[in-house]
Order: sequence, then C-alpha cells, then structure tokens
Amino acid sequence: MSIKFTIDGQKVEAKKGESILEVARRENIYIPTMCYLAKATPNASCRMCVVEVKGVEGFILSCNTPPTKGAVITTNSDKLHHERQNIMKLYNVNHPLQCGVCDKSGECDLQNKTLELGVAEQDFSTKEQKRKHKKWGVLSYDPYLCIMCEKCTAVCNQVVGSEALYIKPGGYKSEIDNHFSECIQCGECISVCPVGAMASSAFQYSANAWELKKIPSACAHCSSACALEYEVKEIAIASNSNEKEIYRVTNESDHDSLCGAGRFGFDYENRVTCKDEKAFAKSIDAFKSAKSIHFNSMISNEEAYILQKLKQKYGYKLINPEAKAYQDFMKAYTSVSGNRLYEADLQSIKDSDYAITLGCRVSNDNPMIRFALSQAVNNNKAYVSVMHPVEDEGIRNIVSQHIKYEVGSEEGLIALLCENFIDDKYRKDFTDFFDSLDDGYICGESSVGEEEIEKLLRYGRRKKSSVLILGADLYSHPQAQNIAKMAGLLELYSDFSVLIVPSNTNTLGVSLICELDEKSQAPSVGYNAEADFVLSALGDGDIDMPAMNQQEGTLTNIDKELVPLNAALSYNGYELSDIANELGVTCKYLIDFTCKLPNSKGYSAIGFDDLPNYYQNDGKQIRGYKLKNRKLKANAKPKEIADIKEYNGSVIYNCNPISQFNLFTDKAQQIVDKALLIGSKQFSDAAKIKSGESVTFNLNGRKITRKFKLSSKLKGTVALNPDFDLQHSDAAYRYTQVKIERV
Amino acid sequence: MSLEQFQDRNVAEQNYFHVDIADYPTTNMGKFKRLLSRTFKGELFVGLWVVFREMVKFDIHTVQYPKEKLPVGPRYRAVHKMQRLFESGTERCIGCGLCEKICISNCIRMETKLDENSRKLVTDYTINLGRCIFCGYCAEVCPELAIVHGARYENASDQRAHFTDFNDMLTPIDSAIAGKQKEFDGFGAVTPHEDERVNITPLAY
Repeated sequence: MSIKFTIDGQKVEAKKGESILEVARRENIYIPTMCYLAKATPNASCRMCVVEVKGVEGFILSCNTPPTKGAVITTNSDKLHHERQNIMKLYNVNHPLQCGVCDKSGECDLQNKTLELGVAEQDFSTKEQKRKHKKWGVLSYDPYLCIMCEKCTAVCNQVVGSEALYIKPGGYKSEIDNHFSECIQCGECISVCPVGAMASSAFQYSANAWELKKIPSACAHCSSACALEYEVKEIAIASNSNEKEIYRVTNESDHDSLCGAGRFGFDYENRVTCKDEKAFAKSIDAFKSAKSIHFNSMISNEEAYILQKLKQKYGYKLINPEAKAYQDFMKAYTSVSGNRLYEADLQSIKDSDYAITLGCRVSNDNPMIRFALSQAVNNNKAYVSVMHPVEDEGIRNIVSQHIKYEVGSEEGLIALLCENFIDDKYRKDFTDFFDSLDDGYICGESSVGEEEIEKLLRYGRRKKSSVLILGADLYSHPQAQNIAKMAGLLELYSDFSVLIVPSNTNTLGVSLICELDEKSQAPSVGYNAEADFVLSALGDGDIDMPAMNQQEGTLTNIDKELVPLNAALSYNGYELSDIANELGVTCKYLIDFTCKLPNSKGYSAIGFDDLPNYYQNDGKQIRGYKLKNRKLKANAKPKEIADIKEYNGSVIYNCNPISQFNLFTDKAQQIVDKALLIGSKQFSDAAKIKSGESVTFNLNGRKITRKFKLSSKLKGTVALNPDFDLQHSDAAYRYTQVKIERV
Repeated sequence: MSLEQFQDRNVAEQNYFHVDIADYPTTNMGKFKRLLSRTFKGELFVGLWVVFREMVKFDIHTVQYPKEKLPVGPRYRAVHKMQRLFESGTERCIGCGLCEKICISNCIRMETKLDENSRKLVTDYTINLGRCIFCGYCAEVCPELAIVHGARYENASDQRAHFTDFNDMLTPIDSAIAGKQKEFDGFGAVTPHEDERVNITPLAY
C-alpha cells in the first residue's frame, strides 16, 4: 500500500509509516533540518523542516507528519525561507563566536545552515547565563555551545538505551546532564552533536576538521564490523617523521552507530621502522618446521584464506578453538535447518517487534545487538526478552522481561522454546524429540517459572516479526551440538528468524574459509596467538605483523556481508602475504585473494577494488556484498536433552567490560577499563573476599590472578571475569565453577 | 597626472609624443664622425667632475649596507613575525589553523591541544621558509593579526632551522610589555574605515 503525492512538483510515493521528510530524503529532495536524526524518532524541536501543503493553513512539520494521498507539498518559498531564517537567528542567540577555535568548525550544522540561509544579522538577544563546562570521561560538554537540539538525549535513550543523558529543564537556562553511572562511554552523543557542545575529550582542540583525511574502513573489534572512517593527519612535528596518525574515528551518525570500542579504540597500530630480515628468515624456518598454526578470529578473510592454502600445501593443523566451536555449532544448525547461514541480521532485529536473546551478554559481546534491540523497542514497541543467568543492569530500559536461568541449563531453555513456539503440525517428524521433553524437569532444574514462559508466550502471540538471538555461551556448551540442532528447528518451523552471533570479529569468515582442527601438534606457529613462534601485531612476538588498521582486507560480519577494510596507516614491515609468497602461496597484494574466497561458501568473485562502501540517501548501507545463503540437505534431528549439570558455589563467567574486546582495545589510550573480577555482594560474601583484594583461581587449567571489584549493579553468585587481556583462547564453556583464594 | 588618465588605457588618443632624436648614422663616414665627436666632446670629464665634486663636499647619499638599512614599507612581506597582545603579553595566536589552511605552498604546520584553562594552546608551530613564497595570505587571513609579515628580508644563514623556529618569530616578551611591538599595517590589518562597516550586535545587558 503506497500513498502517492507530490513534493515540489515531483511525483513520489510513500510507504506506510513514512514521514514526508523521509520520502523527500529518499527521493533526493532537500529539506533543511537541525534536530532530525534518521535513526531515532523525530524530536520535532527545531521546526526547520516545515513545509507548505496546498489547501492547508500554516506550516506542516515534515519530520513527523505522514503524507496524505494527493497532497501537494512545497519545500521552499519566501515565507518558508523567512521562517527558517528566524529559526536560525534564534539558534544563534548568544552562540559564542569562537568558531576560530571550535573543533566543529568546518563541519558544523549551525555554521552551515546560518550561511546557507543567509543569516547576515541578528535581531534577537537574551541575557547570558552562567554555565559550567563538564567532563564525563571520554565526553566533554560545553553548555555555552549547546543549541538544545536534543539529538544527544534522543540517541542515548533510543539507540544506546542507557538513558544516561537527560535535559535539565529551565527555559533558556536548560542544559544537558549525565547520569554518569549509566553512561557506557560509547560517544554516540559526540557523533550526533551538530555543534561543538559534545566533544571527544581526547580529540578536543587537537586538529581541525578540514586537516583530517578520511579513510573509510570497518571496525575490527567485534563481529558487527561497523562502517567507520579513520581520520588521519601527520604525526607530531617534533617527531621528524612523515608518518601519519589516527586522530579520531567518525561514522555516518545519521543512520548508523558505533560503540565505544569502535569510536575510541583506534590507536592500536603496530609501528615498525623497517623490514626485519633476520626475523623474517626465522619465521620462514619456523613455518617450514611447524606442524600447526594457532590463530584467533581477529584476522581478515584474505589472511584466513592464506592459512587455509598453507594448510592444503603443507598439511598444517589450523587451531582456533573459538572459531572451531562456532563452526561446529553452525554445522549442526545447518544439518537441521538446511541453511548454511542463519537468516536474521542486525536490520531484522531493528525491524522486529519480538526478540528473545539466549546465552548472549548483549551489551558486552556485541554492542550493536544492544543498539538494534533498543531501536526495535523504540520504533516498533518490541517485546524484548533476555534469557541469561546474570542480570544486565545496563539494558534494563530495553528489556521487557528478563528470564534468569541456572548456569548450564541453556539446552533446556532452548528446548522449552521449541516446545512452546513450534506448531503441532510440524512435530510429526520429530516425535521422539518432542515426546522426550519434560517441561517440569527443565523448569525445575533451570529455575525458570512456568508463569515466566506463559508471559513470554502471551506477549508473543500477535507479533509480526520475531527474532531469536543466540550468543557465545551456547557454542562452547557441552551440549552445543544439540542446542544448534534445536536452533535449526526453530528457524525452520517457528516464526523466529535466528541470529547466531559470531563470537569474535571474523569468526564467521574463519569458520567458512578455514578447515579447522581440534588438536594441535608441536612445533607451532601463532598468528596473534600463543605458540612456539609468534607473529604478532601487538609488537611483542618474534616477528611484527601489521594491525588491522594498517592493512587492506575484508571481514565477514554478523550481517553475513563481506565488508572492506582499508589501511589507515602505512606499515613498513613484513606482512603475512610476504611469508606466504616465500612459502609458495603467491600474491602481489593480500587483496588479490578477495575474489578467490570460496564460492562454495557463498562468497562472490568480486575484487577488493570493486567493493562498494557508501550509504544511500534513505540510509541503506551499500557495503561489500551479502554472502549467498544456500539451501543444503538437512536430515539430522535433535536428540533428547542431557541431564542438566548443576553449578554451585562461586561461578565465574568470561565476560569483558563494555568497549574492551581484546588486547588491541586494551592498547588504545582512551579505553581505560581494567581487567578486574567483578562480582556482587552475594558473590563476595560467599567467596569471603573484599573489594580491592587480589584473588587467584584456576580457570581451565590456567592460574589466573585478578583484583576483585564489588559492583552494586550485579546480583547473584556469578562473577564476571574478563579475558580481553589474554592472548590464548579456548573453547571451554564460558561459566566455570572455581575455588577462589586470596593472594 | 590625474587618476582618470591612468585608468584610460586608450594610448593612441592621449598626450603621448615621440622624442626628437636624430637618426643613427648608416654610412662609415657618418659613424667615424660620431666617434670623433664623442671622443673629443669632453662628456667623460663632465661625469668625472660630478664624482669629484661630491667627494670633496662629503655629502654622501650611499646607504652603508649592512651597517645601515633603509626602512621598508608597511606592506613589505618578509620573514613572518608572531605578535603578542599589548597589555598582557600573551601570544595572540588562538590556534585556529586558518593560516595552515590557506597557505598555498603548504609550508605552515601547527599543533594544538586543550590546555589546563580549557583554551586552545598552540604547542608547536613551524613555517618552512624554504617553501614559503611570501604571498601574505597567512597574514591576511589571520583573524587575530597574530601572524604578520615583518621587515626581516635578509634570508641568509648557515642553518635552515634558523628560519622555522616559532620563538624566533615571536615578539620577545620584554619588548612586548615595554610596548615596543610595532602594529602591522599590511594585508589583513584593520582599515581606517572599519567602524563604519561593522553591524552592531544587539546585547541584552
């Protein structure tokens, strides 16, 4: 159903729910705005977007008014121009004339619109108020520059979902304030601020907008691989070097988001002065004698392809436990659903009105899922149910229902979902499985009340699009295979489309490109992973490698897209492709392999330089290409669920602080979270430890020492233990029952 | 001559005339006659007499460079100077980066940061005088009249670095406080009629 009408004589069509402004933007018709943010609901505070409708008295706000059939709309006239000029004059009242030093100068909406509308003189004035500059971690706020457009509060409440920023009302005195304990330091407010009021503390006054060269790339910290632009400029004058430095990261903030790791975790490059020939010769020797290659999933598709080629040539064992667990999970999922790839993506979360997450610590594992859920709640009034043993205080504004289950009972939970969401008519092929399900046993062992499931069902009844988000707790679960099969069942026979969140940056790509092995054989070579000979982008290995912001390549992200990475900084040393060339896997550049990625796994034969990377006017991202999801043969069936193991005493959950993902984010200057064991009062009482004490415990055969921090935001007996500062990865279940000792 | 005459580019109709000079001799005899007349006319001694007369009068107009230097006009564009504010002696530069942006030979670079008073502080500033073409755009664009062209036109030194140091260009603090800093009248300076051109901003207090 579409509504036909005209804007400035141009015939256009609107879909249901679209506003006049949205249609105009999509059709390339310009309507000026100050407070409008495409990714949030309209603030309707600036009134710049007013238009005239034939036969209607007065002006109409185009940002929040849907068109009517046959409406004749004019976007510009003398009256409108005068109205907009007056609005700009009011915005400019007492605005400090410090454009000369303001960071925003050159990319400032206020500057642009003032000039665009030809505001040459000011007729209005008011008495200036005394206000205070504020600093909230990475974020600095200058209330004098603030024009109260409310974009920052909109993005904080509707997209981030943390409700940290709020307006302290008071007429002309009003300003923005921050519930700092709720702030996750994502910097979304900085990116949407049209003036210099919200500024990055570290970037402030360090460079002008026009001096920075923008290099479009993708974030390399989690599987969302968000589009971003590295902004580079020459390194300090005194260093006498021609090299460049990343000053900040920006993104297309009107349509897309970035989390704190993407926005502030950019300075992890590995600077080397020259090619270290001795180390290179050693690394060739190491590769020639090695039997296995260890690596992690923060690796580009092309590098993964090289490793796979080396495996084919030399028979190496490829060891990446985390990706292996994911690969096995996906295989089991495919064996039931027939889909090689899961069906949902971030956009389908944003469009959904009913979402369940299981086994996923939403804001820490993948902030974009949190942002997408928040947008779904705000735009579609979605019902979000989070199933997790540890309550996440930070997302309480997004979550409609938190279903807390006992650690270890994930298999039972997904079985409950199968039982309740799969229609009877599909069950005849799986009678063994469904007959074996014992709701009472599962509810008892997982301590999930039946009324909670009923509530879940009640709200899900009339929903149109449902998404099931499965997280990293499941891939390493002892019953992962069966869980994956049930996920396949839900994908096929329920209304859910399933999203299986890749646990690391390019886990999906690695799992598609590489044939991974279980057992390692000595001697080993490690690529950013522990081994006998280590190639490291952190600069602490036996030979240096470029970091992800220093190389070209592609990533396969959560949206099942292949997205390009561009090199923001140059790299003077040897790369993996140099080693591969020496070993007989020849290429001139790493990106020669982009078009050779396996077609059988859904990749297309498109070269790196032909990959698109831009946004359309309607906000649609055109980036790389989507992998083809092929239907495969499916005949497996889920088994009867295993007995649910009990976890008692002190349980530790591997979970990083928000914005910390790996050693690279740890290296970044602006991300300051330390590796602390964080637990509730209950946990500290049970383990008899106090906040600030150093404790030690044994985690999967490794002795780990951490400082303990008491958090009032946590409840229950599960403590959060970060693993971003460790170079090894293993595929063990994320929860471990441990004995905690004081050091 | 009036201004109108200067602006009238139509040369043919103006008061120009040819100088009446005898034609050059073409025959050998003619050339020989010219030689004789030039040799024995004594014009040489006229010139020598002028030199001798001035020498004995001791009224010498020669500038004794480098001991003596001629003053240069306010619009002369030689090596840059960085000015200070008159009373406080603080540097005028606010670090806006416009000089860096406008520089057509790309020879200016600056670094700034947030200082402890929440102001923009210039931490490093260089002008590569080897590349500078002394066009004066930087002085013209500077909103604070902080970077100006000075009168130091002697570009010889044994080190290139002598011309790029910020502190060499900056007015010494003692002479700034003593009021010895000269205001710049060149490009970008405030014109005498500026007051008439400025619109008054309304103020509520």
